[in-house]
Formats: sequence, structure tokens, C-alpha cells
Amino acid sequence: MSDAIKNEIRAFIVENFLFGDDTAPLADDQSLIASDLVDSTGILEMVTFLEERFGIVMADAEIVPANLDSIARIDAFVIRKRETAETTAG
Amino acid sequence: MGEIRALRQSDVATVAALFQRILRKTSAPATPALEAYLTRLFLEGPEQDSEIHSHVHIRDDGSVSGFLGVLPLPLMMGERPVRGALCGTFMVDNHADDPFAGARLMRAFLSGPQDISLTETANDISTTMWRRLRATVLPEHSLEWLRVIRPAGFITEMAANVVGAARLLAPLARPADALIRRGAPEPRWSSLAAAIAEGTLASHDLDDESAAHLFTRFVSHFAVRPSWREENLRRMVEESRHKATFGAMVRRMVTTRDGKPVGMFLYYGDPGRIGRVLQILAAPGRAGEVIDAMLAHANERGMVALRGRAQPALLEAMLGRRFAFVHASSSIVHARDPALIEPFLAGKAFFNGFAGESWSRLIGDRF
Repeated sequence: MSDAIKNEIRAFIVENFLFGDDTAPLADDQSLIASDLVDSTGILEMVTFLEERFGIVMADAEIVPANLDSIARIDAFVIRKRETAETTAG
Repeated sequence: MGEIRALRQSDVATVAALFQRILRKTSAPATPALEAYLTRLFLEGPEQDSEIHSHVHIRDDGSVSGFLGVLPLPLMMGERPVRGALCGTFMVDNHADDPFAGARLMRAFLSGPQDISLTETANDISTTMWRRLRATVLPEHSLEWLRVIRPAGFITEMAANVVGAARLLAPLARPADALIRRGAPEPRWSSLAAAIAEGTLASHDLDDESAAHLFTRFVSHFAVRPSWREENLRRMVEESRHKATFGAMVRRMVTTRDGKPVGMFLYYGDPGRIGRVLQILAAPGRAGEVIDAMLAHANERGMVALRGRAQPALLEAMLGRRFAFVHASSSIVHARDPALIEPFLAGKAFFNGFAGESWSRLIGDRF
């Protein structure tokens, strides 16, 4: 499950921020900000993608590097949000 | 991680310093006058709404690192009141080092209680951010127009914007313009005839109270229009007088021969300069005559050109009168309900100028 999410996030980043160039490896824990892959417009694009693709709603306070600065962090955040949503719904 | 919260009085000094450094690109310190105006505009502004407010981004150490100024803009859509909010000043300190600050400010604004969010003159970065949040750029509102009146004087002014000493050539430009403007057939895009065309409607100076009255009257036919409270519109009209860097204000009502008002125009600029038009308003079907009256006035005043922000309702009349258009910044709208955006795309919404941020002293005044 997590690998599937992670792969989708990676594909989104490659497509939108690397313009389809996947020749350079993108590590799960690589900082997207420090690598200059994502700027403020990219963050908003990422947030919109996560909300629309994974059906989550991101609060303003959740738009922080701890949740969005690497593929691993984004993956963990999406899983947490979905689990929380399921617990609330259940 | 920082936080986003509503602007407070205690933030204003830092916001003023950011404004000087980031938007005015000067190392001069912010003056008390600028701080006072930021307070007046964003904490005591017209049409205050307890739920729609400006936002600041606070660093972990408690310092302010970003600001998004919001002006509530109550609108009417037909007979339905609509809550609008206008994003004006938007700036982030060390934007590249903390891209989350700008993203969070923008999200916080667009997540507000307003039905419709607007910005009048977004730069390229802001435009991209709005687009990422599924906002709609309004092409016809996003154009700047230019009408050259005296071509030699216009070129001199353009050169003077780069090298101030070029203005010394202005005395040479005048005879050149007199020659160019003599005899060439009308209409032409490169100049305006020296003689005022027969039939051009008269225009008369307009006081604040009459201007506010005519504003309300001439926006009433738009499907989406501001529903300013009278005292707030009067305040905006009064404040709009002060744009020292743009030059003197010219505000005039256009009337028919029997004295009936059919429109008004408001521009800034001293003779020999390029005038900046803040607003043109016209009764339905009278846009062309109002524009002709404005050009005639600018011609007689000695302006070398006029420039301004496009309005869909004026485009057709402008095209026939040899105006030039260029895209410089974007007017953008965002709403959760797509039906609210349709009148803007259809050119049936009154937006820009006084239904925007351009009327405020932050744009064009000295502090």
C-alpha cells in the first residue's frame, strides 16, 4: 500500500518538478526544498495533488517541511491522514 | 514550523519594513507615515469584516516573515450579496529559503470565509500560486492599455524612466510632435491629432461627493458589482486623491450637451508625462464617447500618453480608437462555486480600480 502511494508521489514529482527526467535517482529521504526541486508554487501544486488524488484535506498548519519535504515524509503523512480519516469515519 | 495568524497592530512596523525592502526595493527605513497608512488600510480599512482579515506568517522565533494584505470587498451578484476579499500586498522575507511561508499565506487566504477571492495585479510568481490553487486568470482584465498622444514626448518619457537626464530632451520633443501630429489621417495608433474632434463631449471637474455618487450610478448595470457603503466609498475616493509619484489627479465627469452625465474618468499625471488612468466609467453604450472626452482632456493638458488597466466593458471602444495592449500582471478570481466566476469571464463583473487595490495610497503615493 505504502509503496503504491510512494510511487505515485515520486511519479508526480518527476513529472511536475523534474519535467519527466527520471535519470537522476530521487532518494526517499532527499529534501525537496534543499534540492531546489520545489518552491512555494510547487508546494501548492503538491498540496492540491495530495488532496485531489488521496482524498485528504490539509490544514494550513500541516503545510510544513515535516510533512512535505521528502517523498518519505509525504508518504508517511498521507498514510497518517488516511488512517485518521478512517478512524473518524469508523 | 512557524504559524499563520491575523495581522495585529504590533506587526505593522515589521510589515512596513518588509514593504520598503521587498516591494519598494529601497534600503530607506519605513516612515511613521507608512506605518500609519498600513494600519489605516489593513486594520481600520473600508468595509471591515471581523472574519476577513490580513494574514502574517510568524517564524519560530516569533518574528514576522510574511504578509498578505486583505481588503474585504462586499459585492452584489444580481440581487444576491456576495462576500468578496481582495488580496493586495503579498510579500515574504527570504522567499527562496522558506517557500512554505508564501504557500501557507496563500492557502490561508483562499481558505477564508469569503465566497470569492480576487487579486488585481498579481506578478508571475503569485499568478502561478493562484493557478496551483485552481484559480482563474481573467485575460481581459489582465491587460494594460496604452494610448500614445505625443510620440516624441512619449519616447522621451520612456527614456527618462531609465535615465532621468533624458527628460532634458523634452523641449526638442515638442516641435517634433507638433510636426508629426499635423495633417496625418485619423485614427492612427502612433499619435493623436492636435485638434479636438468635433462632437467630443465636454468634461467637468468632479468633487469627492459627486464622484462617489457617480461611481455607484455607473457600476449599477454590472451583473457583479461592489456594494460599497456610502461612507466607505467616500473615504476611498478621498484617499485616491493622493498619489504623489504619479502626479496631480484629474477627475472629471463627461456630460452630454444638455448636461446629462454619461461617464467619468480619473487619471494622474503632470503635463508632459504619461498619465495613469485609475478608472473609466460609462453608462451603457457610452464608453466610446467617455474615452474620447478623456483623450481630448489629456491632449489639451499636454500629456504624452495615457495608460491604464483594461476593463472588458471598455475593450471594444478602445480597439476602435487605436489603443495598444500588453500583459504586465494578472487579475485573478477564485471561488468554490464556479457560478460566481462566470460573470467575471463573461466581462459582466466590475473589477479593477476602485473594485481592486489600485485606489489605495500604497500604489503611487509617497510616505
